[in-house]
Amino acid sequence: MAEASISLKQKLWNPEARLAYILLLPAVVVLVTFMFYPIVYVLLMAFFKTDKLSRFRGFVGLQNFFSEMTEPEFWIITGRSILWTVLAVVTKTLFGMTIALILNVKYTGRKVARMLFIIPWASAVPISSMIWRWVYHPVYGLLNHTLKVTGLWITPPTWLGHPIYGFIACIWVDIWIGIPFMALVFLAGMQAISEDLYESASLDGVNWWQKFFFITLPGIRHIVLIATLLSCLWTFNDFNTIYILTRGGPAGATDILITRIYQNAFKWLRFDRAAVMAFVTFIILTILSILYSRIYFKEERV
Amino acid sequence: MKWRNRGKLPAIIITVVLLLFLLFPFFVMISTMLKSSEEVYISPPTWIPERLHFSNLIIVWREFELFIFFKSSIIIALGATIFNTLLTVPAAYAVARLRFIGRKFILYLFLVIQMFSPVIVIISLFKIMVGLNLLDTYISLIIANSVFTIAFTIWMMNGYFKSIPVEIEEAALIDGCSRGQTITRIMIPIAVPGLVTSMIYTFIYAWNEFLFGLTFIQARPKMPLVLALFHFVGRWTTQWELLTTAAFLAIIPVLVLFYIIEKRLVAGLAGGAVKE
Repeated sequence: MAEASISLKQKLWNPEARLAYILLLPAVVVLVTFMFYPIVYVLLMAFFKTDKLSRFRGFVGLQNFFSEMTEPEFWIITGRSILWTVLAVVTKTLFGMTIALILNVKYTGRKVARMLFIIPWASAVPISSMIWRWVYHPVYGLLNHTLKVTGLWITPPTWLGHPIYGFIACIWVDIWIGIPFMALVFLAGMQAISEDLYESASLDGVNWWQKFFFITLPGIRHIVLIATLLSCLWTFNDFNTIYILTRGGPAGATDILITRIYQNAFKWLRFDRAAVMAFVTFIILTILSILYSRIYFKEERV
Repeated sequence: MKWRNRGKLPAIIITVVLLLFLLFPFFVMISTMLKSSEEVYISPPTWIPERLHFSNLIIVWREFELFIFFKSSIIIALGATIFNTLLTVPAAYAVARLRFIGRKFILYLFLVIQMFSPVIVIISLFKIMVGLNLLDTYISLIIANSVFTIAFTIWMMNGYFKSIPVEIEEAALIDGCSRGQTITRIMIPIAVPGLVTSMIYTFIYAWNEFLFGLTFIQARPKMPLVLALFHFVGRWTTQWELLTTAAFLAIIPVLVLFYIIEKRLVAGLAGGAVKE
């Protein structure tokens, strides 16, 4: 027993471990102060009554959750967040896959094409969103003009002023930003697949679709999983696009959880409601993060 | 071979069509910034300016005082990069090289929190900044941006440090180098590509950041570029020819930086499944 406790002590407190703790200390202190403590604070806030200055005014248990979850609005926004995430990630995956497949064909100029495809991801998201606001402009915007002139849509909508078209307009910008990452990751995965597999398949007279389904897809399965999980996290978290395009309007029709948290807190000063939504969001994001991390960890040798 | 040749032309056509489709907003941006203020507001709008106006570049710089916001953004982004690096390098070295209990747990924790949403903590972070009297300061944004990049940069640097053979470091230790010297003279110089990647990543993150700025900064002179542009859009009559010009100028630096790190960034995010 005595020996065991000594060896445990040695394990925890030997020169090497001590150095590690010292080196980690600054980062850990900063993370605890500015990330863990704020998270715990908000999670606690969900169980308290709060005033307009977000001060705690007495413990109320689950009452905030009950009052929030009996409102249809809460479920509409949660449902919209999920719809938002699923629709956006699926579309990003499809576009990303298409672009990766064509960039995997060895034609001249594909390096330039690759660089051009990256631009929406490489640009600042808030700034792109502002440009999109101008593109969507009902009178002077070039999108509606182009739709009219080409005859694709003779009477295009006032995109950002309409509940459904507003949602479509917002989700498209989110998709548009997210496509390049998908494409790049898929492409990297495809390029790791051995050429020999394709060549021998060609000799056996296998067609393009069969190659795609039996060689390419299984080869990048793992990477697709990681990329889509990551994309789910980013998409669910996308505050900038919606806030800049519509601020959740018209009449909250484009709000998702993440934007509503902000509005509840900083516009309406309803910190209790914001905290409940933050709690729910936290749970969802943590589940996604852990899924992503597990898969990532499996691949990476730690 | 036959398959490759057959696939080429359709691939090129699809590429061109998709690029035209996806880069449309950037076409609009460049077209608008080259228009005169009269031409921006005619209906129906024009795709290509009738006469190219480069004066918007000067107007934005002089009258909109863009340099103020550029200066703020540069201070914030550089500050965040330096602070982040000072915290990241030692921590990443520790998890990559030293044996201690909880190492795996800490690594795993960094990976999980890497994707945390700033919106969740923004309420408490705001209160902390009020408490520390840091509203309307660059420091508030430097701290916030560093905190939300640390986890990812530690992971990246961890990967780079791990890829350096232990023997090199051991040889240096035997030759009488201290731990500190092996880090500064051997590990960091070899891991420079990783260091550059994580620094550029932080710089871009801070440059593009919007939420913290929106919440912590009210004073115009302290506004980072992105936030200043947002307030510019919010005004009753937005002069879009000026806004697109400013947007163009704000995007260029990060675009260039992004191309430098893009491959390593993808590898870092997707993990062992992607090789650089």
